[in-house]
Amino acid sequence: MCSVHDTVEFEKRGIPATVIITEAFRKTADFQFRGKGMEGHPYVVLPHPVSSLTPEEMHTLTLPIVDAVANQLMG
Amino acid sequence: MDAVDEFEFFLEKDWSDGLPVVTPTEARLVRMLSGTCRSPDELIGTVPPVRGRATVRSVAIHALMAGCKPEYLPVVLGGIALVLRDEFNLNGVQGTMHGVAPLMIVNGPYARKIGLHGGNGCFGPGFRANASIGRAIRLMLFNLGGAMPGAGSATIFATPLRYTACVTENSEHSPWESLSVSRGYSLEDDVITCAMVESPRLTFDDTNRDPQRLLTGIADSMSAMGSWNMHTRANMVVAMSPEHATLCVRAGMARADVHRRLCELAGRKVRDLKGGGNWRRERALALPIKVDPDDDECFIPAIKNPQDLHLIVAGGWGPCTAICHGWAGVSRSVHGIYEV
Amino acid sequence: MANGLQFIDPTEPRSGNPVNSAARPADLAGKVLGLLDNRKEQADVILRTLADALRERYGVARVVVRHKEHHSKLAPDALLDEMAGEVDIAIAALGG
Repeated sequence: MCSVHDTVEFEKRGIPATVIITEAFRKTADFQFRGKGMEGHPYVVLPHPVSSLTPEEMHTLTLPIVDAVANQLMG
Repeated sequence: MDAVDEFEFFLEKDWSDGLPVVTPTEARLVRMLSGTCRSPDELIGTVPPVRGRATVRSVAIHALMAGCKPEYLPVVLGGIALVLRDEFNLNGVQGTMHGVAPLMIVNGPYARKIGLHGGNGCFGPGFRANASIGRAIRLMLFNLGGAMPGAGSATIFATPLRYTACVTENSEHSPWESLSVSRGYSLEDDVITCAMVESPRLTFDDTNRDPQRLLTGIADSMSAMGSWNMHTRANMVVAMSPEHATLCVRAGMARADVHRRLCELAGRKVRDLKGGGNWRRERALALPIKVDPDDDECFIPAIKNPQDLHLIVAGGWGPCTAICHGWAGVSRSVHGIYEV
Repeated sequence: MANGLQFIDPTEPRSGNPVNSAARPADLAGKVLGLLDNRKEQADVILRTLADALRERYGVARVVVRHKEHHSKLAPDALLDEMAGEVDIAIAALGG
């Protein structure tokens, strides 16, 4: 997906980056990171679907991934 | 060591479409390349997201694997060049959950010469040019682009159009000018139009002789609640059978009249869209046309820009029109003359 | 024919040329965080939640938000260059 491309482009520019995806796109993300020369690049996964959630529900579902995101951006 | 079974070899590839291919040998490639004067090393473009190179040579390899004759190669070369145009946004559709494919509509004398079929059964199996040209494109999207389901593609159902998606109009029985001529090309121009669409759904009308009633029924099929055409700007192909098109002509309607009327009729009021499907107030507000999602009487058209409706005459005699809904991503249809 | 096959194998390699990951900082305190919002529904909520939490818990100093034209489109080089010139770390959402 396009966000994988964007993440790789950040990395190429020296910016540590990660991408948030939903579960249904896990295999696509793995495939695309591999195709772009960053096999195994980490990303963070939210349950699928999210499109029908209210903003409050989305906020609540996002909070548990904060530490994973931080860990992927730090050494 | 056992000899390699060439059929099994390709059937086991992750980019296989599940059907056997014609084994690509150097001899077959030489023969296929006789279908063009272009240099085999000429680069047409790279296929996203993997960005495999589509050179004349690699296009010819996929064309021969798909079962093309050498004389089909110019159409395959023209088609892949079009789908790689930026505005078509192939990159987006390769990974989408949606099940759409680039449908090629080929107009002009060369289509007739190579036997592209636009009459009875044109969207189904049985016609080598239709089947193999469309399949060549798909094999490239899989192999060079990496859009295999479960790998580079998250498509939920895909679509049978992902086996092959190439058609021409029924020019012999059409009462109108072709799609390409309606766009300003000449009768002698060999033109391909590509639109990112779903498989055709069929709408029957064997009852009405009033074209307004006929077009109302067709417009209804264009306006499904679960169609992304109602909630974004998207392409739509409407393929009227010669019978349906002729009914309109006998009532004095030119092609442009039918096109305009379908754009006017196809759509739903907010109150009908809110009850299900993909309705979201924010989506309505993001449309490139002015709508009021808080007004139940506001009419939201299925076609946001007349350029997005591709009206053709195809199929055999019979009271049926085929409608292909479009994609939710940003993809503008493309068209151009291809070199023969 | 190559590999002993009597035919051409046109399979495209699936792995791109290796790209090195950017060096990671030891912590996020004082860093400028870039958020690339692809306009997919919920991307804004997700990114805002993450930004607020990273500020509060990890000391991120500043947040820069940019939007893509559409989630089905790649970020243009100019946008990526601009962000890379301004931020220390980045999050893209919502993929898929």
